[in-house]
Amino acid sequence: MITSNLLRLALLSCTVLFSNALSAQVKGLLQVRAVQGDDLLSWQEGGIGLYRHDSKSDELILSQAILDFNIDLASSWSAHGVANLNQDPDVGLGFTQAYIKYQPLSNSDYKWHIRVGGFYPLMSLENPDIGWTSPYNYTNSAINSWIGEELRTVGAEVTIKRPAKRFNSPHSFSLVGATFKGNDPTGTLLSWRGFAMHDRQTTFNEGVRFAPVAALNDFALRWQANHVLPFEEVDGRFGYYGGVHWDYLKKSQFRIYYYNNNGDPTKLNISTGQYAWDTRFTSVAWLYKFNKKTRFIAQALNGKTEMGDNKLIDNAFYSHYFMLSHKEGKNRVSLRYDYFEVTDNDITAFDPNSSHGEGLTASWRYAFSKNGQIGIEGSALKSFVENRVAMGLQQRASQQQIMINTQWKF
Amino acid sequence: MSKYLIIIILMVLSWQTVAVNITVKNTKDEPMANAVVWLTTKNGSEIITPPDTPYAMSQKDREFTPRILVVPQNAKVEFPNADSIMHHVYSFSKAKTFELKLYKEQPKAPLVFEQTGVVELGCNIHDWMLGYIVVVDSTIFAITDEAGKVDLTASKGEYTLNVWHSGFSDISNVESEDVSVSSKPLTYKIKQTLTEQIEFATDEFDDY
Repeated sequence: MITSNLLRLALLSCTVLFSNALSAQVKGLLQVRAVQGDDLLSWQEGGIGLYRHDSKSDELILSQAILDFNIDLASSWSAHGVANLNQDPDVGLGFTQAYIKYQPLSNSDYKWHIRVGGFYPLMSLENPDIGWTSPYNYTNSAINSWIGEELRTVGAEVTIKRPAKRFNSPHSFSLVGATFKGNDPTGTLLSWRGFAMHDRQTTFNEGVRFAPVAALNDFALRWQANHVLPFEEVDGRFGYYGGVHWDYLKKSQFRIYYYNNNGDPTKLNISTGQYAWDTRFTSVAWLYKFNKKTRFIAQALNGKTEMGDNKLIDNAFYSHYFMLSHKEGKNRVSLRYDYFEVTDNDITAFDPNSSHGEGLTASWRYAFSKNGQIGIEGSALKSFVENRVAMGLQQRASQQQIMINTQWKF
Repeated sequence: MSKYLIIIILMVLSWQTVAVNITVKNTKDEPMANAVVWLTTKNGSEIITPPDTPYAMSQKDREFTPRILVVPQNAKVEFPNADSIMHHVYSFSKAKTFELKLYKEQPKAPLVFEQTGVVELGCNIHDWMLGYIVVVDSTIFAITDEAGKVDLTASKGEYTLNVWHSGFSDISNVESEDVSVSSKPLTYKIKQTLTEQIEFATDEFDDY
């Protein structure tokens, strides 16, 4: 429903574009990679591997195909959309973002704007590039891998900003508030798979499948489908989030958000097999530029998720990462450490949800032309996931992945 | 007939043209960079003919380039966008109110700045961008260098020396003084303390 509305919105925007010949900015990214993947089957294929790729994908893969458009509807109105073509796990085309923005031109020193549609809350500082990709590592942090796969706002967001320059002050502040529908199943993957590390964003029309988690065979979870449709509306309630951005000379950028999908854990959509999970968390992100070349980025996420009657599933989750990135001419080198954990707080014995792990990712990117870039990345992670035992697998896993990427932006 | 007369007068006057070196200093007697300096004739007889080729206020790396542009009255100014992203340039200043949505490699027609005064430019997308177009009733103008100096070419005579800086507490205000132009260097000391200009460490990922 939401998806079809968004597509309609996008189509409408395109119609307006071509009928009135309005101005538009269209940007794109094509990225192809060769991967030396790990033996563990990827979560994308129903495995327990926490990377996007596995040894099955030791071939060329179209890792990103993104079209990002920004259409002027009027002086203060614009339509934005990001379409993604994916090859894995199945070939599919969809939108990861589609929204209308109203940003009035005003003589006031304070600025404000509204976004209505489907979009990311801007709580992270790792993904400022086209289509919410990262200019730093190819494989996203555990936090932003999860946000990319299970978090999206389909609603309305208001931002009020006090821009530093207008006040001749070194400090900028923004207040952000949003309310939304959908996104009720968010938290599902954290409970049954745990955090993962990848750059595969879920489009509005996609689901993400699970490994053969034994608990899903239990009578209590008989309605649960073997995949999650993360952006579905299940309980009819509105969720909300609020955030504050604080910039100091743009040298230090700090963001804090509280998100609550306000899910009713007792509600279930039997026809789609999706539960509403009551998921709420706080995210804190910080970017600091030591100089023009070197920067530090960190983020921490701490929250809880609950599903089913009488706290059938009640989990806490936490993750953080630290990243150091250095740009020297046409080269950028980025190194990141991730930590992640899920704690099972319920007494449901048949469904253990605890997991934890850590990862190290190092990337080097080289711009060989204005639009072209090549890069390599090596990543290693180790994880412990409690429910792997019931699948007849080791709880502990150690994984490595090496990839060569080439990309073209326009 | 009058055209020829003017040309003859100008030719005669040009014989007396001198290069005048002007230094602008702040209240602490330190040289003041980035001050706009222009000379207006006392009797207002200078004929201002702006050049046919437009001046340019570019946007590069999410900043206005140059930060300050001085143009004679009725000059044309174009706004080329050298960035790969869109800019939404606007001004609410009395001297010129406008807005322009500027895309990469899609230039818009130049604007004519008919009124003198300071035009403060902003970008609705990149709120740290700030630029100024100073429209003056003169063709004798320049911006001071790091040593607070400008070299102007003018005919000998009586002028009003005008000075403007973006750090003035009221940016629509101009400081002026009567001067006598000869080959002798001039020094102007401003009458107010400047608001300190803050530099921001912006880059290509900051509009996220």
